[in-house]
Amino acid sequence: MSLRFNRRSILRGMLGGSAVYMGLPALDVFLNGNGTAFADGAKLPVRFGTYFWGLGLTDTPTGGTRWVPKKVGADYEITPELESLAALKSKVSVFSGFRVIGDGRPNLVHWSGHASILAGTAPATATRFAGPSFDTNIAAAIGTSTRFRVLDVDASVSRQPVSYSTLSGGSFSTPETTPLALYTRIFGNGFQDPNSANWKPDPSIMLRRSVLSAVTDQRRSLLANVGRADQVKLDQYFSSLRDMENQLAIQLQKPEKCESCVIPKAPAEVRRSASVDVVNANTKSMAKLLAMAMACNQTRVFNFVHTAGASETYIAGQSKIYHQITHDEPTDAQLGYQPQTSKLAALVMQAFGDFLGEMNAIKEGAGTLLDNSLIMGFSDTGYAKIHAIENIPMFLAGGAGGRHKAGQHVASKGDAVTRVSLTAMQLVGAPVGEFGTGTMKTAHPINEVMA
Amino acid sequence: MVCAAVASAAVLGGSIGGAAPVAAQSADGPVKVGIRRITETQYRHTIADVFGPAVKIAARFEPEKREGGLLALGSTQLSLTSSGFEQYFALAGSIAEQVLSEAGRDAAVGCKPVDATKSDEACSRQFVSRYGEPLFRRPLTQSEAASLLKVATAGANQSHDFYAGLKLALTSLLIAPEFIFRIETAEPDPGAPQQLRLDGYTKVSRLSFLFWDTAPDAELLESARSGAIHTGAGLRQQLARMVASPRFEAGALAFFTDMLQLDGFDNLIKDPATYPKFNQSVADAAREQTRRTTIDLLIDKRQDYRDLFTSNATFINRYLAAVYQVPFKSAEEWAPYTFPESSERAGILTQVSFLTLFAHPAASSPTRRGIKLHEIFMCEPTPDPPANVDFSKVRDSTKGTVRGRLLDHMENTGCAGCHRRSDPPGLALEHFDGLGQLRAQENGAPIDVSTDFGGTKFEGARGLANYLHDNPKIPACLVRNVYSYGIGRKTTSRDEGYLAEQAKAFAGNGYRVPDLMVQIATTPQFFALNVTSNVTAEPQPGPAAAEPPQQSAGAIQ
Repeated sequence: MSLRFNRRSILRGMLGGSAVYMGLPALDVFLNGNGTAFADGAKLPVRFGTYFWGLGLTDTPTGGTRWVPKKVGADYEITPELESLAALKSKVSVFSGFRVIGDGRPNLVHWSGHASILAGTAPATATRFAGPSFDTNIAAAIGTSTRFRVLDVDASVSRQPVSYSTLSGGSFSTPETTPLALYTRIFGNGFQDPNSANWKPDPSIMLRRSVLSAVTDQRRSLLANVGRADQVKLDQYFSSLRDMENQLAIQLQKPEKCESCVIPKAPAEVRRSASVDVVNANTKSMAKLLAMAMACNQTRVFNFVHTAGASETYIAGQSKIYHQITHDEPTDAQLGYQPQTSKLAALVMQAFGDFLGEMNAIKEGAGTLLDNSLIMGFSDTGYAKIHAIENIPMFLAGGAGGRHKAGQHVASKGDAVTRVSLTAMQLVGAPVGEFGTGTMKTAHPINEVMA
Repeated sequence: MVCAAVASAAVLGGSIGGAAPVAAQSADGPVKVGIRRITETQYRHTIADVFGPAVKIAARFEPEKREGGLLALGSTQLSLTSSGFEQYFALAGSIAEQVLSEAGRDAAVGCKPVDATKSDEACSRQFVSRYGEPLFRRPLTQSEAASLLKVATAGANQSHDFYAGLKLALTSLLIAPEFIFRIETAEPDPGAPQQLRLDGYTKVSRLSFLFWDTAPDAELLESARSGAIHTGAGLRQQLARMVASPRFEAGALAFFTDMLQLDGFDNLIKDPATYPKFNQSVADAAREQTRRTTIDLLIDKRQDYRDLFTSNATFINRYLAAVYQVPFKSAEEWAPYTFPESSERAGILTQVSFLTLFAHPAASSPTRRGIKLHEIFMCEPTPDPPANVDFSKVRDSTKGTVRGRLLDHMENTGCAGCHRRSDPPGLALEHFDGLGQLRAQENGAPIDVSTDFGGTKFEGARGLANYLHDNPKIPACLVRNVYSYGIGRKTTSRDEGYLAEQAKAFAGNGYRVPDLMVQIATTPQFFALNVTSNVTAEPQPGPAAAEPPQQSAGAIQ
């Protein structure tokens, strides 16, 4: 086996070819002065979040749909699995009939769906996305003037923490996995009460910044002579370092007053169980904390995972997990669908309804936090029994500061899911004209829902 | 190539080794041929070695990722996320506070400032090089030392506290990519100047992380500095020292914890209604049992690796005794225990760890157990299930045993390919429920544990243990895992010849694991440049390089 390589050829192999360019975000807290909102009564900021749950919703090939409304456009009817959205129907748009188009790439079960929605291209392997997830685009556009560019949360109590947010396609964010951990991250060390009367800059923060500058000094020599894959890793490292610098820079500035900001009490530790009642309770208490993090101007972007792709949640005491049930349960000949699966789908959707309810409970300006937010809810599959990547349920909730004409049902006849993703990006003001590659490349957002 | 002495003796006056450190470097720096993030245990071991075991490390580490069956391979793909950076940054500050506490600072710094309310260049310089080298696992460059001195000086002057400046410099060392990542670098090979070889510091890091799960010590760094590590005699001398060191146990333990996927216990969930005996103490005990058994058998007693599957000698504590339904009479926390010959339990596959890790929250899973058995011990990953599967024949699992349901899969053309392979060994373990408790019935029906595994028929866990003991794929897979783990790269078809040779040598030395590790580290292939990992991020073709199955992807019963 040949183990030696000519240096020139190695350098060619490593440094040549198609380089991957990672946009390092500008430290723009200084540029826009952190004063785009709040105190002077100017326009309230728009927030963006993704909300993911596993195993889709029930829409059987025999026509037994449990979620797709018949009525298209405004004032769609509430279907059984959308029951939890009834109270907020006018603030939620439903997107049915959108699909993943692989352009020859296989359907990697419980992966291709959300990987395509987020990265715009069907993935080649089930451990990576084809590129960055689009929430990172939005965070670069609207997330740099708050302490946290983005908060990642996983309520699923899974074997591994789950996040589908990635800058590189290969390395995923590290989510907070308990309400207490999320609380500590937001309201623990480093939190500055925006409504405090006696704010003073903390001089130790300047010193902590100097620690980072010693690392940044070496950036150039570190990035010299480095291969493509390693460069991506180092770029992500330095991007994370800049986020930290940004955090410290923001902590040196007097925070804007936030009328809706009320610092919550620390939540209790929760029981570690993946049963759906526990996951839903987690979701609700984490939603409260996320909502307050946004009301207190700590972040404007979040990614929330209710359950992972091949969801392991279950009804307490049942031996089968949800994922198994979607595959094993026969379709009831009379009903035309799988009754247990549909029951679990409705339970899982209850959490989404509750989540939006928490966002809607915070008054902000003339409306609510939800009115100033856009939350994209989506899943990994359409009809889970057959791992369908057609008709993946997708939702856009919240008013996006008046830009989203919410409360509509958009029924597509097989358009790419990337259209919904592009719509979300444009609704919150990310400077993006097109999204996706191959057949899923699109420059056409869904105009019906854009004001 | 322009070589420069990048760190002069003057800059690194207080360097531990004493000799003038010289790192090979071109005009634009050394060629970096691989980067992988250090693991949580490597971080912990390094901090304990450099600053002493009393330093507390309280942080949430970044999650690791398994590729090709190993976290060690996943670590080559990982970077540091924003939330991870926050954690490492806070941790670095906390370590610096502890190391430079009023009580500890004299011992930690080794020199005294002229005036403790001001910066002191000579003493800062000494401090920075004293810790820079063991943390970066190579001497600091002149420019790195200068940056750190600048931080220490400015910090001391601003806060009128010499030690506050040192804390900042140390925090900076601990958050630097050169500490958090293992950056492998290459230099021109003096024997063949047109070719590259790993430089000495990279070589000793590979050795140290494999054998000790920590950064190289002063003697290893010295053998890199002197070039002795590039010679056969120098390498053998270090290997003999490493394998004889008490740290070797930590290195072997890290390897087996990774290979056996014992990290799964960190987040293991069981349904309390179904398994009321399960709690975190049981989970911790199950992991510890497997670790103790493995180290005792393979490292301390130097037994045949294959005995891992058949040996009925193990260790238990009070929690496990309850699950195993055996008496626990010791006053100690842990006690040796040997299952009687009549017991169905023998070997690692019948321990609670394997049985409970690879099961559902409220049920056993022959398929998961079978998939993991193939993946972990035979290096045979199972492909993802087909997306469009006909489940119409699948029966209701509230009746009868799981066997009937799986037999349906084995007759279904879409499922058969994988389930025929994965399920038979799992069915042999069906006398153990999802927590590893012995049972004879499921839903009132007796459980049949006879099986046909690739044409070999046997009965139950003991039959499986004997079958695996004599299966040549088992030691061959260990060889592959040790090699991949050490070099941080998936093996490809080009490695097959080498691996076959190593497997033969492993058999020749009686399947002793310490000898295997030394044997692999002695071959030139152990210090090969991992160029493929940089040239392409996509997986290599070949059976060993196939993607591992995703967490419970598809129809896993």
